Amino acid sequence: MTLAYPPQPDRDSAPWWARAGRREFAVQECDSCGTLRFPPRAFCAACRREAWHWRRIAPEGTVESWIVNHQPFVPGRRDPYLVVMARLTAVPGCLVHGNWRAARPPKHLEPVVAVFTEVEAEVTLVDWTPADV
Amino acid sequence: MTLVPKRLLELRDRTAIAGIGYTPFTKDSGVSTLTLACRAVLAALEDAGLTPDDVDGLATHRVGDSAAPSLVAPALGLDVTWHLDQFGGGSVSHAVVGQAALAVAAGVADTVVCYRAINARSEFRMGGTGRGVPVSPEVQYQAPYGLVAPAQHFALYARAHMLRYGTRPEHFGHLAVTQRANAVKNPRALMRTPITLDDYLASRWIAEPFRLLDCCLETDGACAVVVTTAERARALRRPRVLISAAAWGGGTSHLSCDDPTVTGAAALAPRLYAQAGLGPGDIDVAELYDCFTYSVIVQLEDYGFCPKGEGGPYAASGAIGPGGELPVNTHGGFLSEGYVHGLNHVAEAVSQLRGEAGDRQVPGAEVALSTAQPGYILPATSALILRRA
Repeated sequence: MTLAYPPQPDRDSAPWWARAGRREFAVQECDSCGTLRFPPRAFCAACRREAWHWRRIAPEGTVESWIVNHQPFVPGRRDPYLVVMARLTAVPGCLVHGNWRAARPPKHLEPVVAVFTEVEAEVTLVDWTPADV
Repeated sequence: MTLVPKRLLELRDRTAIAGIGYTPFTKDSGVSTLTLACRAVLAALEDAGLTPDDVDGLATHRVGDSAAPSLVAPALGLDVTWHLDQFGGGSVSHAVVGQAALAVAAGVADTVVCYRAINARSEFRMGGTGRGVPVSPEVQYQAPYGLVAPAQHFALYARAHMLRYGTRPEHFGHLAVTQRANAVKNPRALMRTPITLDDYLASRWIAEPFRLLDCCLETDGACAVVVTTAERARALRRPRVLISAAAWGGGTSHLSCDDPTVTGAAALAPRLYAQAGLGPGDIDVAELYDCFTYSVIVQLEDYGFCPKGEGGPYAASGAIGPGGELPVNTHGGFLSEGYVHGLNHVAEAVSQLRGEAGDRQVPGAEVALSTAQPGYILPATSALILRRA
């Protein structure tokens, strides 16, 4: 599978994608106030300081919403596909997106866990699957 | 930090919208956005009873899809001493008018024409299909999943609202049906065939929970409004419509947000109302940014017309239709009139306050709210409260 829109890491996010490629789910933790944040960026919005370190977290969340895409938004992709919006358990107020890896539709607020999918060489995406599977 | 700086309160009703202008709305204009912009600017000046020689300011917003003021000014031979070329989509649409009002109130320009000109169907489709993904850091965490178009993001927010508050497809459908009925009475509207709730429910899926009739049109067209001082507008030929409040800014969220069912409008509304010295109960007609049905539902809540979570039932109650307590999107909105990214909402509000909206006129409308994209995807929005003098 070749992605029509592969990730385009920038100078803030490249280390995050590298860790995802090693099947590690990491977010930034502020050295000063300990606030966790995602996606990667230089400053802590809580204390406005720069110093931080990676913190490996449990890749767990809950289902906040999802869509089933029918319009051909992606060139060459005709089948309906489901994208889920999950709330990270470890990072307050943080919503992330991903493919849904289950045969059944999601349920509101159900626990989910990340699965790492190497979709092509050097490209690993974080998808989501029900915690009870 | 005070809610509204004193200086902003002093600007209440100091500026006015003295003219509005449109090109026809079509699916293929056959002309450049520069041509569309020039036509709308001249139409707005004609409406105001002004000439191009009266113009000393031009303002627009765009996302790399339209002609800049620095192109429009020489194309029309305008001697412009102040201009604004704002990067941004629907969320900044009303900030453009607000910035023009600030320039006029500060005395650095006397007459500013704000315009938006797009070939959003024939050249640069906002719907995302078949075009590249905009460059934004957050896109890298979305596009690989095939999450590339505004309809998909708003559908995610809409389902979150449905799951949390019990909002139903029929609530969205009622809104689409009501706005289409308004468009039937609007000669400018692209979609003038009435629809029923069954038509809505039978329309094809775009991104569940959104159907085709949840989504706005993609339109070629332009719209312009003339901003000048309230004093100067008094001498012009059209009924005066005063800018009672203009606010922009909004929330603080990034890709992450605490609550996907609350928009930047919830943070903006208290400032906006304070600037005008008014509240939701004073609004006679509301032109609410309707890129999708859901964006209207959430704004009914975030601008304080009903409690959080009750936007769907409120919309379906008849309150937003003709004769209701808050007629909404009287022109048919982006869903049925046409999509000019925000400025056609401002122009419709002006028509209503002048009492010139024809068959769709809200009787006795004195105060109008007009709003921008409420602050999803990026956490900023903008809005105006306009008042008949």
